[in-house]
Amino acid sequence: MIPKLSLVSILVATFALALGYGLGGLGVGASLVAALGLLWLLGQRAGWGWVASAMLALFVGAAAVGTWLGVGAGWTLPGVVAALSAWDLDHFARRLGGAGRVVGVRELERRHLWRLLIVDSAGLLLGAVALGIKLKYGLGVALLLGLLAVLCLSRAIGFLNREIR
Amino acid sequence: MRRFLLLSGLAYALFLLGLATLSGGLLALALPSIIFLGAALLYGPEELQLRATRTLSAERVSQGAPVVVRLSIANEGSRLEEVLVEDVVPGLLELTAGEPSALASLPPGGTVELEYTVRGTRGILDFQAVRVAASDRLGLFRRRAMLPAPGRLTILPQVLRLRRVAIRPRRTRAYAGPVPSRQGGSGVEFFGVREYQVGDPRRWINWRASARHPRALFTNEFEQERIADVGLILDARQRVNVRSQGDALFEHAIRATASLADTFLNDGNRVGLLIYGWFRDWTFPGYGKVQRERILRALAQARTGDSMVFGDLDALPTRLFPARSQIVLVSPLCGDDLPTLIRLRARGYQLLVVSPDPVTFEVRALESQPSVALAARIAHLERVLLLRKMRQAGIWTVDWHVDRPFDQAVHASLGRLPHWFRAVGVGP
Repeated sequence: MIPKLSLVSILVATFALALGYGLGGLGVGASLVAALGLLWLLGQRAGWGWVASAMLALFVGAAAVGTWLGVGAGWTLPGVVAALSAWDLDHFARRLGGAGRVVGVRELERRHLWRLLIVDSAGLLLGAVALGIKLKYGLGVALLLGLLAVLCLSRAIGFLNREIR
Repeated sequence: MRRFLLLSGLAYALFLLGLATLSGGLLALALPSIIFLGAALLYGPEELQLRATRTLSAERVSQGAPVVVRLSIANEGSRLEEVLVEDVVPGLLELTAGEPSALASLPPGGTVELEYTVRGTRGILDFQAVRVAASDRLGLFRRRAMLPAPGRLTILPQVLRLRRVAIRPRRTRAYAGPVPSRQGGSGVEFFGVREYQVGDPRRWINWRASARHPRALFTNEFEQERIADVGLILDARQRVNVRSQGDALFEHAIRATASLADTFLNDGNRVGLLIYGWFRDWTFPGYGKVQRERILRALAQARTGDSMVFGDLDALPTRLFPARSQIVLVSPLCGDDLPTLIRLRARGYQLLVVSPDPVTFEVRALESQPSVALAARIAHLERVLLLRKMRQAGIWTVDWHVDRPFDQAVHASLGRLPHWFRAVGVGP
């Protein structure tokens, strides 16, 4: 079940981004994204451990470039969420395969997919809400808000990093 | 860790890029990654409070016997969404069934059981700890711990039951046993004739000798049989113990030593063991089952090694062996060992050398080429010459081709004393 869902996620991510690029009149970008998706599928089939992480970075990069070039956020946001899901499912499948024995494999899979669904939905929803909000403020306020956001994010990542260590 | 860094790096980059370019779309793209990280933080595992308990189906087994290892890991803390439990299996053990690792979800008070079967080569093996890694369901936030779960498994070398090993040391001990003692008395083997003494059983009277001497009666004497001191020496020098095709000649020597020790102890003898390699590992002489256990444990831990001091047999500590006792050397031998062995004989020790043949052992793994055949022939001739010289010096030798079972080799060579050895007073 997990490998199938992973495959579907890769296809969705590729399709969304490629279509977004295509509709934006960026044929080369669409081809590149399709090639990346194909490489991801090939890598997954070949069992390359690094391919999921590399492809996630490349897909997020492609989405960012697409947004910069005017590709609709309605395509890039689902593409990023699907790429995140594919990346997560790939690692989950590896964790299951790496353990000698999995106790209650169905239950573990079910709970993992449920968590992933919640996280994906929240990501999509918040992303969509964020895209819909339009605020007008001056440069000073923007700088202040940005500084505050960077500070908060740094603190959060630093805290997580310390906890992991 | 790398996943966490990758995701946080992406989120950070998108966010900064969005702020720098004042692009809401880029900021929106960062949100799914931030929520991913947030979920990991929210549901990440707390401090691990786990307890591991290990049980072994047997703590002392012979080589190759299966042992079932059971591990129980109990969660005494909060819920752990994903726990990977991996037992650290000592390197000398081979997994034959089951798995030493498991992935599970552990509620408070829950347990996860591991069960697997191993078997291994000889040695005293210590199980140390269990590796545990707990993470959230998304696998981003991970805590690791090593849980102590000690256990000791002793794998003793294989012991073959030998039918009989005939020895004849010059000096025996006071108690009755199976070793001819070179002294007249009650026994089985004829020893000599002496004048009749009051109390001698009538059926022992030698009527033929008495008939030739009308004024005296003569009585047959038999050779007393007693126990003896046996010193076993296992040659653990690296340079004489060859390896071939993953097999080591030393392992055959270990099995031979274990079998000989078992046989000598079963006969009631006092047996000591010296492992002579990169140091001198001495097991003090003793009797019975306790001594058998001591010797087998020493053999279980025996390793080959090279040492400048113990490179040849010159440093054999003869003071460890009682004077004129039986010494049994288990060694593949090399050319420069002969003078030392002759010196031991000269000091009055009765010497038996069991020599696993290193030439045939090594040749069987080599390609059959004319040069190899010629080299093997030369090496074989050198060995034959060495063994012949040893026999001429009164050293009893057993040339053992390890392809042949040791009990068969022993039965053929050591089942009874050679005729030149049996003659009273002539024996070396």
